Parts: sequence; structure tokens; C-alpha cells
Amino acid sequence: MLPVASLLILVPLIFAAVTFLTKTKGQAAGLGFTGSLATLGLAIYAYLNFESSTAAMQFFESMTWIPSLGVNYSVGIDGISMPLILLNAIVIPLLILYSWKEDRESPNRFYGLILTMEAAVIGVFVALDFVVFYIFWELTLIPLFFMVNIWGGEKRAHASYKFFIYTHVASLIMLLGIFGLFYASWQQTGIPTFGIRELIAQFQFFESGLLKDAIFLSIIFGFLAKLPTFPFHSWLPDAYTEAPTAGSVLFILLKIGGYGLFRISLPMLPNTGNPELMIMMLGMLGSFSILYGALVALRQKDLKRMIAYSSLSHMGYVILGAAGLVTLSVSGAMFQQFSHGLIMSILFMSAGAIQTSTGTRIINDLGGLAKKMPKLTVVMMVGFMASLGLPGLTGFIAEFLVLAFSYARLPGFVLIALLVIVITAAYHLWAMQRAMFGVYNEKLGDIRDINSMQVFSMAAIALLVLYFGLNPSPVLNMMISNSEAIVSLAAALGV
Amino acid sequence: MVKTALEEFAFLIPILPALAFVITFFFGKKMPAGGAIFPILAIAGSFVISFMITLRMLGNPEEVISQSHSWFAVLNFGVLIDPLAAVMLSMVSFVSLLIHIYAVSYMSHDPGKPRYFAETALFTAAMLSLVLSDNILQFFVSWELVGLCSYLLIGFWFEKPSAAAAAKKAFLTTRVGDVMFLTGIIILTSDLLKLAGGFQDGTYLLRFDEIFSYIPQLSALQANIFGFEISHLTIITLLFFGGAIGKSGQFPLHVWLPDAMEGPTTVSALIHAATMVTAGVYLVARTFPMFIAAPDSLMVVAYLGGFTALFAGTMGIVMNDLKRVLAYSTISQLGYMMLGLGLGSVIGLEAVGVSIFHLINHAFFKALLFLCAGSVIHAVGTQDMRELGGVGKVMPITAVTMTIAALSLAGFGIPGTLIGTSGFFSKDPIIEAAYIFGEHSNNWIPYLFSIAAAFLTSAYIFRLIFMTFTGKPRSNYHGHESPAIMTVPLAILALFALVFGGLTRTGFMAFLEETFTNSFVNLNIGNLAGIGRNELIGTTGNEPLLILWLPLIVALAGLAIAFLIYYLRVVKLGPLASMKNPIYRLLYKRYYQHEIYTEFLSLGIVYGVIAFLTQVIDVIIDSIVEAFGIITVGVSEELRKVQTGVVQNYATAVIAGVGLLIILVKLIMEVI
Repeated sequence: MLPVASLLILVPLIFAAVTFLTKTKGQAAGLGFTGSLATLGLAIYAYLNFESSTAAMQFFESMTWIPSLGVNYSVGIDGISMPLILLNAIVIPLLILYSWKEDRESPNRFYGLILTMEAAVIGVFVALDFVVFYIFWELTLIPLFFMVNIWGGEKRAHASYKFFIYTHVASLIMLLGIFGLFYASWQQTGIPTFGIRELIAQFQFFESGLLKDAIFLSIIFGFLAKLPTFPFHSWLPDAYTEAPTAGSVLFILLKIGGYGLFRISLPMLPNTGNPELMIMMLGMLGSFSILYGALVALRQKDLKRMIAYSSLSHMGYVILGAAGLVTLSVSGAMFQQFSHGLIMSILFMSAGAIQTSTGTRIINDLGGLAKKMPKLTVVMMVGFMASLGLPGLTGFIAEFLVLAFSYARLPGFVLIALLVIVITAAYHLWAMQRAMFGVYNEKLGDIRDINSMQVFSMAAIALLVLYFGLNPSPVLNMMISNSEAIVSLAAALGV
Repeated sequence: MVKTALEEFAFLIPILPALAFVITFFFGKKMPAGGAIFPILAIAGSFVISFMITLRMLGNPEEVISQSHSWFAVLNFGVLIDPLAAVMLSMVSFVSLLIHIYAVSYMSHDPGKPRYFAETALFTAAMLSLVLSDNILQFFVSWELVGLCSYLLIGFWFEKPSAAAAAKKAFLTTRVGDVMFLTGIIILTSDLLKLAGGFQDGTYLLRFDEIFSYIPQLSALQANIFGFEISHLTIITLLFFGGAIGKSGQFPLHVWLPDAMEGPTTVSALIHAATMVTAGVYLVARTFPMFIAAPDSLMVVAYLGGFTALFAGTMGIVMNDLKRVLAYSTISQLGYMMLGLGLGSVIGLEAVGVSIFHLINHAFFKALLFLCAGSVIHAVGTQDMRELGGVGKVMPITAVTMTIAALSLAGFGIPGTLIGTSGFFSKDPIIEAAYIFGEHSNNWIPYLFSIAAAFLTSAYIFRLIFMTFTGKPRSNYHGHESPAIMTVPLAILALFALVFGGLTRTGFMAFLEETFTNSFVNLNIGNLAGIGRNELIGTTGNEPLLILWLPLIVALAGLAIAFLIYYLRVVKLGPLASMKNPIYRLLYKRYYQHEIYTEFLSLGIVYGVIAFLTQVIDVIIDSIVEAFGIITVGVSEELRKVQTGVVQNYATAVIAGVGLLIILVKLIMEVI
């Protein structure tokens, strides 16, 4: 069998390197697309050989790297990472198609960075060693920084630095926690290791409750800031909005914060000094993010900024479901990551297309676009309806699972989230009505609908949103196996 | 052989129109009449299957069709056709079919025809899927799809700002109800898991039989809300009813329905008769075993239904827009259906019988009323009754069929005989049940609501008939009778509005009462009512003569008043019907609901204050971050003086940072 986990990192990385060397736009885009297709092929190969019914690590590879510190290059794929790898592998080629006809400076760097990003994100998903994990974690910063900084909007410099510094500081705090975990374990066992699973297993034997809490909190802080959640979200609206469309979509595909939550934080949680308190804290952050993001979104005049806050609101479900800590609520949270990646890609692509066509994103300056952009309107409608949680589309499956199964543990927070559903519908429909319906705003002149490649790429994502909304099991079953493993750890400890 | 074959086709009932949606949406442009043939054939297919199943079931109501398949996790999707579902499926597909045929001509000049027919096909598919759901989640999913289609269709002419606004209003208002419904489902899910002690192999968590089997335990679970002990069953059923209030346009979530006429008239006919608004009533009927064990919830249903019937009637009487009168009429009639269900605490399962019977009859005469209105609007070009008058002379078929519908709506018929319109045979039993309820519980409010609403119903509908069809034209219009493709559906519906009720009355209600005793669920409604400490007594038919005749008397009174004012024009309303009269103004302004809802509730409170405050918080949080940023930039500027080059800078920072971290960790470890 192929060493798929490593190839999933190597292939996009090699294609990225070659893409950087190309001279023309055609070469860069073509090579980028080929690289992303090759990665998709690998991801599909992995999926076809993947056993959904087990929580065990599959496609495991390991090599010694720095023996004296217990650093290994070890990678593998399980039900937590497989859906997210598929998400990236599916959306990236479509994203390249979407931006195929756009003219921009240095296309070689543009497509090279997209592939670098894909390699880095998949690297985080497959890493089973904290050193490897952290290297890829930090590597994701670089393409995103340049994406915003080079091809961003007017305030790109400010937005890119803000994002970089903010999440970098959060990452350093996370690193602090990782070191704490490493040293405490070394002290106890006498054998140094950076293995993620080994360190989590050792975590329960630490004697000091305070130390455990400190380690848990500093690691989860890195994840919460990356996710992001209220109140650590300030980098998000600026970065998402200033980024070019491709950059915004890459931000959306950056599911590493939520991934860390499931891979590292949730298995540690039952062993912390006060698990009930941690659960309450997460539940509160989740439901507050849902409420807060929706309320701020209601006040936005800029379509893209509204979508950015909407994204914040939706990511709250990931935390809420994780805090619910029963099999189906955790699966729902994982499914929300997958679903959010698809839905928000459509939304950011729509906002991008509107800006390219009309030159503005201010909702009140638009109006009646449906008449001139009928194709965009159809796919955008699917995206908006999915985002407001319409059944039959993926968003509903995730939200229903999170709400219905977190209720037993966190009824108050679930009720808050339920109240927000109306607000969520309100800002989506308000934006749709103002921007797309009504009388066409003639000041915008003669504008064009999205091109055929954009139709293809957005419609393909929309179809996936519909397909997995009607038949979530292929993805959900992988998640359920691993959620069960996480939850049974907690249940064994009476949490 | 035939039996098994029929069952195997049951799943096609919603699937056929759903397929028609896909085909018409993508290929309708190249087809004649916008591809209308696909929805028509598909819905005709759904009707044939539904009707054959209903016929078969009439002979053996215990043998229901039940098929379930795993959907995801512990949830399923499936088909359940029992007597209740069977009659609903037949009605929805039949009325929808007629409306589709009518629309071929009505929409013939509209360039958006393919989109129209695709969306109405989906609308019908969603409603059919709702009706045959065997579990509450699929019910909710279809429920939401119905909402989506109504949004798309009310906003069909999206270039009209008023249509786009009405679509949004419909979606958001019903969404408030939907959230209540969803909350009910979520609490139910959580309770069922708790009661069942986790997931059970081989059972689907949210299937109706599973839910109903836990009714006694759900009723025993108590919650303390603001010092009141309320059973979980009451909470869940009230939340379900909250959903029904939104979808079925009950007070106070009825505000979207009158605006919903911004869509094409055929859409109004679909929404008001076959799909959408009946979903709320159907929800209460479908979960009736839960309601009957929760008497407080049933009381709320009865009161709110009765109040809505009257409240909407008062507004119907002053509207000048043809379709708006009909819209208020729908709200009022749905109130009757809810009232009928709410009386279940006294009359038991008969409540489902009378209520659904009225729902079916209402579907016939309300679809007819809207299609007649559409016929008038199509020919004359205005829907303001002040500009109409004398239309009966140029459109005789429309005038006759609409008058039949009006007679049926007003419930004309002779008590104690078999002579009467369809509406008579279903509305009078509801009023009589309200009387029995009053006698039994000494609570006459529901009865008063229902009898007063009966008077108003007759008054407003004959005001409409006289203002539209009689007298002299009050504006320059050129009318003509509609083509046969429009008048034939009118005639068919008129036949049903006239005789369906009389022909089927006893058998129909008895059939519906078999709904909860069959091979799928076998419930003893008496026992369930016992949980709610209800004592069931049926309708006797031995009410005092005056009570039997009173609905007819008030209807005649309403007719007479309309006749005097709007036909003979011997009574002049003058200042009574002007804005100077505060009562008239209150009614004409629809109790200032629009002002109250938009200005005060949604804009004033939610939008203004909370969202603003949140945004302030957001700015504050962001400013704190920015302040840190400024400090960091300041420090890095200093560093830049020491070293040059971004790469070195970054490398140094990382190395220094990691070094610092290691020292920090060491220090903390020593302390701990």
C-alpha cells in the first residue's frame, strides 16, 4: 500500500515548489491544478482504503528523527482527520478553477502558495508527533500571511500583520503547553517523547491538578484562537475581509483549530483538575460565539464582513458540540467543520464574484443583481440557505446533531443557540433581499455573470452540500467511530 | 398481488414531483409552456397512487403502509400512510394538480414559467413528503422545505421590492415558529434518550410509534419553570404548537400570510389550500396522542384557534383588496381547524375527524376562491374591489363558481338534513363541539368565538361577492371569461366545494378516527386522555334546536347585511366606514400590527439595541487587540534598528521565543 499520509503532504509541496518556478499564468495555474488534482486522487485513494467502523489510526508511518528528544516523524489518518483531508483535497482544485481567469501579479507565487497551504494543513491533520504537528501548524501562517499581504484589499498590510502576530502569539502559548506536557511526562517516565498519543495517555498520570489545568488551558488557547471563538476572534473579520477570495477560502479550509480540539484537547479534558468547569467554559464560549457572531453580522454593511462574522457564529457549533461530550454531539461538531468548509467556500466565492463584477461589496450599493447574475444567484442561494441551516443541506445535519445531543449536558447554552437561528435567518435573508432582489441598481452599469469555470466550481461545491445534506453517513460514520472513542474515555472517568 | 404492488409505489408520491422539479428547472426553458407538463404528469401520478391507497385503506383502515430506512446515526426516513395521511395525500395532490393545470394558462405570459413550475413542483413534493413522514425529523425537514418554497414563490417576482420583502417576512415569521418546533424536537430527543437509557438497536429514535410509546413517561417528567410545575409533555406539545402557529398563520404569527399574496395568485391558492398552511394543523393532528395527554396544551390550542378565527374575521370585513380578504379568511378558517383540535380534551379523537374534515373541505373552496380571484385579476387587471363591480356579467362562470365557494365557506346548509355545502358539514360540527365543550366545562368562550366568527365569515365573503360581481363597473376595465383550461379546474373544484362534504360526511370522520389504532401504532386514546385527566364525551347530535340552527342564522344575518349594503346599496355606511371612525381605522390598519411588529419588536429591540451593543463590544475587544499590536510593532521597530532583514528578524524572534518558553516552562514546573 502507498504511504498515503506522507504523499498527501509531499505531492502538493513538490508541485508548489515547481509552481513557484513557472513563468506564465497558464503554466502556474495548470501546474497548480494538476498538483491539486493529484492530491485529490491520493485523498480518494485513502478514502477508498479507509475503514470507517474503527477509531484506530490507519496508514500509519513512523521514522525516528531526533532520538535523544524522542522526536519521531510519525503520521497517520483516522476518522477525525480523513474528512478534513477530503475537504481540503476537494475544495482546493475547485478554488484554482474558480480563480483561473482572474488576472493578477505573480501567478506563480499565487498558485504556489495555495499548494503550500494545502500541504501544510494536511500536514497538521496527519501529524502524530507534536514537533511535526507544530511545524506544519506554523507553516500554515506563511501562505495566509502572503495571500493577504500581496493580493489583499486596501488594508491588507494591517490585516495580514494583525492575523500573523495574533495567531502566532496564540501558537506560542500552545507551544508552552506542549513543552509542559513533554517535560512533565519526561520527568515521570524518564523517556522523552513528543508522540501526541503517548503524551495524551501519560497526561492522566500527572499528579498536580494545577499543572494539568495549565497545560490543558494553554494548549486549548492556541486552538480556540485559531478556530476562532469569541473573544479571541478579532483577527478574523479583518483577515477574512481583506484577503482575496482565494485567501478567504483558504482561511475557511484552515480547520486546524477545531481539529486540535478533537485530536488533543477533548481526550485530555476528562483528566483535567475540574472537567465540569472546562465543559461549562467550552459550552459558554461556543454558545456565545454563536450569538455574538450573528448579532454583529446583523449590523454589517459589507457583505464579505457579514459572511466573516457568520463564519464565527457557525464555528461556535464546533465548540458547543465538543463540550456536549456525547458521541453524536461530538460527531455533529466534527461534521460542522466539514460542512462549514464547504458552505463558507460558496459564500466567500459569491462575495468575491460580486466584488469582481460590481466593484463593491457594500450591501446597500448593490440591489437587483439576480437579474444580471442569475447563475450566481442560484448557487449563492444554495450557499445562503445552507448557511442559515436549511434541512436537506449539510449545515442542518451538523447543527441538529450538536443541538439535540448537547442539550442533555448543556440545556441553557443550547437554548441560546436555538434563539440565534432566527437572527441567522434574518441577516442572511436581509442581505439576499438587498443585494440580489428588488430593482436593479442601474448605477452599477452593465455587469457580467460568473464565468463557466466559476459556475462549475461553485455548483460542484453546492452539489456536495446537497449530497452530504441528504446522505451524511459516508462522512458522518467515520466521525462517529472516533467520537465514540473520545466519549468513552470521558465516560470511563464518570464525566 | 395488487396490495404489495401499491405499497411499493408509496415512496413515489413525493419523489415524482421532486423529479419533476429537477427536470423542469434545468430543461423547462426548451419545453412548451415552460415544461409544465412534467409537474402535471408527476403530480397526477402522485394523486393516482395516493387515491388508490386511500380507496384500499377505506376497506381496512388497520392495515397501514409503513416503511423505514436508516438515514444517519439513530435517525430514519420513511413512509407512513394511515387514514390521516391517506386523505391528506389525496387532497394535496388533487388540489395541487388542478392548480397546476390552471397555471398553464394563468402564467402563460410570464417569462419565468420554468422557474415557476419547478418551484411549485418542489413545493408539492415537500408537502407530500411532510404528510407521509413516519418520524418527526423528516416531518421537520419537509416542513422547512415547504417554508423555503414559499419563500421562493412569494418572492417569485423578485424585482418587485414588495414581493422580495413579503418573501422575507414570510420566511422569518414562520422561522420563529420553526425554532419553537425544533426546540420541541430537541427536548423530545433528549428526553427519549434518557427514558430509553441510550440507543436501542433496531429502533429509530424519532419515529412516531417510538415517541407515542413514551407518552406516559414524558407526562410524568416534571420541569419547574418560574415556580410552576409543568410536565415535559406539555412543554414539548406547546413548542410543537408554536411551530404550527407560524406555519398555519395563527395569532400572533399570522402577519406573513396576508402579505404572501405578493406572489402569483396560483401560488396563493397553493399556499392557502393544498400546501403550507395546512401543515400546522396536520402537525397537531399527527401528534394528537401527545396533545390529548397534555390538557393544558390542548386548551391553548382551542383558545388561540378560536380567537384567531374571530380576530382575522374582523379584519377581513374591511379589506378592499380581493386577495387580502381571502387571506384573512384563510387565517380565520385555520383558526376553526385549530379550535376543532383543541376541543379534543372533551370530544377525543372526533376532534381529529372534524378538524381534518374541515381542512379538506376548506382546501376545495379556498383553492376555488383564489383561482376565481385569479381569474378576475387575470381578465380585469385589478384586485381592488373598489374598482371592480359588475364583473359577473362578463365572467359568468367565474361568478357562479366563486359564489358556490362563498356559500361553502360561509357554511350554508339546512341542519338535520343532507342538504348543504361542504363547508356546512365540517364547520357546524366544530361549532357544535365548541358548544358541548362549553356545556361540559362551563367555559363558553370558544363557542362565542366560533359563532361570532361565523357571522363575520358570511358578512365579509358576501361583501366580496357583491362588490366584485354585482352592480355597475366602477372603473374602465375590459373583462372576458377565462379560457377553458382555467374554468374547467374551477368547475371541478366547485363541484367538490358543493357536494364533497355532504357525500362523505359520516364515513370520512369515522375513517379518520381509525388513525391511531392500526398495525403501526395501537393507542388507546381514552387511556391517554386519562393521563391528562380528561373525561371524553363524544358529540351526541342531540343539541338543542337553536344551537343546531344558530350557525345558519348568523350566516344568513351576515349575508343579509352584505346584501343591504353592497347589493341593494340601501344602507350607506358613510362615516362609519371611513378613517374617522376609530374602530374602522383600527381594523383597516389591522390593529396596527405592522407598526408594532416591525418598528417596535424587530427593529426597535432586537436590531437596534442588542446588535448595537454587541458591535460596541466587538470594537472594544478589537481595540484591546490593536493596542497590543501597536506595542508589538513598537518593539519590533526597536528590534529592526538592531538587526536588518525580515527573515533574520523572524528567525531571531522564533529562537528567542522558544528559548524563553523553555525557561518559563522549567520555572513553572519548579513552582508547581
